[in-house]
Amino acid sequence: MVEGIIIQGLIKGGTYALLAVGFSLIFGVARMINLSHTCFYMLAAYGIYAFAKMLGMPLIAAAVLSLLATTIIGILTYRLFIDRVREHHVTVMLITLALAMVFQEWMIISFTSEPLGAPSFISGYWEIIGVKVSYQHLLTFGVALAVLICVWALLSKTRLGVAIRATAQDSEIANLMGINVRRILLVTMGMAAVLAAVAGIVVAPTLTLEPRMWTSPLVMIMAIVVLGGLGSVKGSFIGAFIIGFVEVLVVFLMPGGAFLKGAFALLVMVIILLVRPEGLFGIAFEEERL
Amino acid sequence: MLEVNGVTVRYDTATVLDDASLRVEKGELVGLVGPNGAGKSTLLRAIVGLIRWEREVLRGTRQADITFEGDVIFEGERIDELSASDIARRGLVLCPERGRPFVEMTVRDNLLAGAYLCKDRKEVEKNLDRVHELFPRLKEREKQISGTLSGGERQMLCIGRALMRQPKMLLVDEPSSGLAPRLKEDLFKRVEEIYHELGVTILLAEQDVSFAFDLSVRNYVMSRGHIIAHGTAQELLGDETIRKTYLGL
Ligand SMILES: Nc1ncnc2c1ncn2[C@@H]1O[C@H](COP(=O)(O)OP(=O)(O)O)[C@@H](O)[C@H]1O
Ligand SMILES: [Mg+2]
Repeated sequence: MVEGIIIQGLIKGGTYALLAVGFSLIFGVARMINLSHTCFYMLAAYGIYAFAKMLGMPLIAAAVLSLLATTIIGILTYRLFIDRVREHHVTVMLITLALAMVFQEWMIISFTSEPLGAPSFISGYWEIIGVKVSYQHLLTFGVALAVLICVWALLSKTRLGVAIRATAQDSEIANLMGINVRRILLVTMGMAAVLAAVAGIVVAPTLTLEPRMWTSPLVMIMAIVVLGGLGSVKGSFIGAFIIGFVEVLVVFLMPGGAFLKGAFALLVMVIILLVRPEGLFGIAFEEERL
Repeated sequence: MLEVNGVTVRYDTATVLDDASLRVEKGELVGLVGPNGAGKSTLLRAIVGLIRWEREVLRGTRQADITFEGDVIFEGERIDELSASDIARRGLVLCPERGRPFVEMTVRDNLLAGAYLCKDRKEVEKNLDRVHELFPRLKEREKQISGTLSGGERQMLCIGRALMRQPKMLLVDEPSSGLAPRLKEDLFKRVEEIYHELGVTILLAEQDVSFAFDLSVRNYVMSRGHIIAHGTAQELLGDETIRKTYLGL
């Protein structure tokens, strides 16, 4: 059972990490709370279903197409609806919530509210320390980890990464370095959409698709991002695994009480915040400003 | 090289900068002196496009009622319509008040952020060496998170970060504020080195008149949003009213 918890926890944590890191990047760079973030996860998952099952495309092609389409939708919604009001944080929340509802209705109109199943990329399983892990689950975890390592490398090792971090910390001063802040915001939005889409694509086959599938992960990643320390990518990463494991533990230890997993995850968040109000990796420097 | 013509900045109804004009020729180090609140920082921010940036960021709020008038010419071209990042791309770079490092980034990453426009890694390394030579302290503190630096170190980092981009002209805003006298002297020596050895044109805003006058070719004196006098250190010190009323010497 312990092995089961570990493996399930890693998979769940990896998926949450993909979603939370993107959410956290947007918050860190633009101070925006994007309530439609997990919709990109939903769109990508439905995308796979539409391209592969309805149109009969090969899975890999469907995955690539779904990723591209979702990213383009993400960037477009940013340009059309969010960019103009980006400094008005409450407005951003309202608009992104409205967008989320629109995406949900769009899925209902296109696919009805019936739960659907997307095809698996690979079938079969592998026995690790006596636990049967489906190849699909391994793929989910492997892709999540690989993508997150890429994001980490991009942020810490590249010129673009330095520019993103600089913009996150002080966008006014970032200007003085010749960094085009608006373009950095757009790139960040794009990256976040890619991360959410990857999560949707690799997780789709292990889930049932339904038009409200964006809500529960949204609550979870908000808890993750807050407990990790707002705006801290490292905090979101670690927070994702903490919450992922809490959920899995509840499911394993309380058969019949699985519906409580969300409540327990939020309880853990509350406890961590009571001990460390700034979150696990929140840093508070005295800001020397004008 | 830089020409500011009749720049006025108003926050709501408060006129912070009133019809300010100045010129800096290539290769000059010009002082901009005046007491706290005279409008030095506002003038420097206006030149590099940050007043318009501020207005854009605040758009839709009450504080967005910011007026900007006048024109700014850099190397013969008007830049007052350009965005702050485009102005920086042209090689006109501000070292803001109090250094403003990217506090959660290491000293090294701050310097790399300064080199953002330089795509050639070898050149970046070369510039890094040069900045480390100028400020050995920054090399010692390379891995330190810059939010934990002292005031003097922040100033060094700020100037070093600006130099990473090999600017044509630097606007330095009160590098000495809040520093102990020994540190001040040291920092001014570095500024002098940058000016003489690297040949960067500099506009230096300072409250500490004696330091500014030591370095500068010419000076502008500001008071309450106006540029009220202009001349060499000798000329300004020779004028009794200016010396007593505005320079407090
Ligand atoms: N955002 C702002 N809103 C209103 N007034 C401002 C703002 N920024 C600066 N001021 C005012 O402008 C005046 C000049 O400030 P500043 O340019 O910082 O002077 P200095 O750098 O010479 O000390 C001050 O009286 C200050 O209160
Ligand atoms: Mg000032």
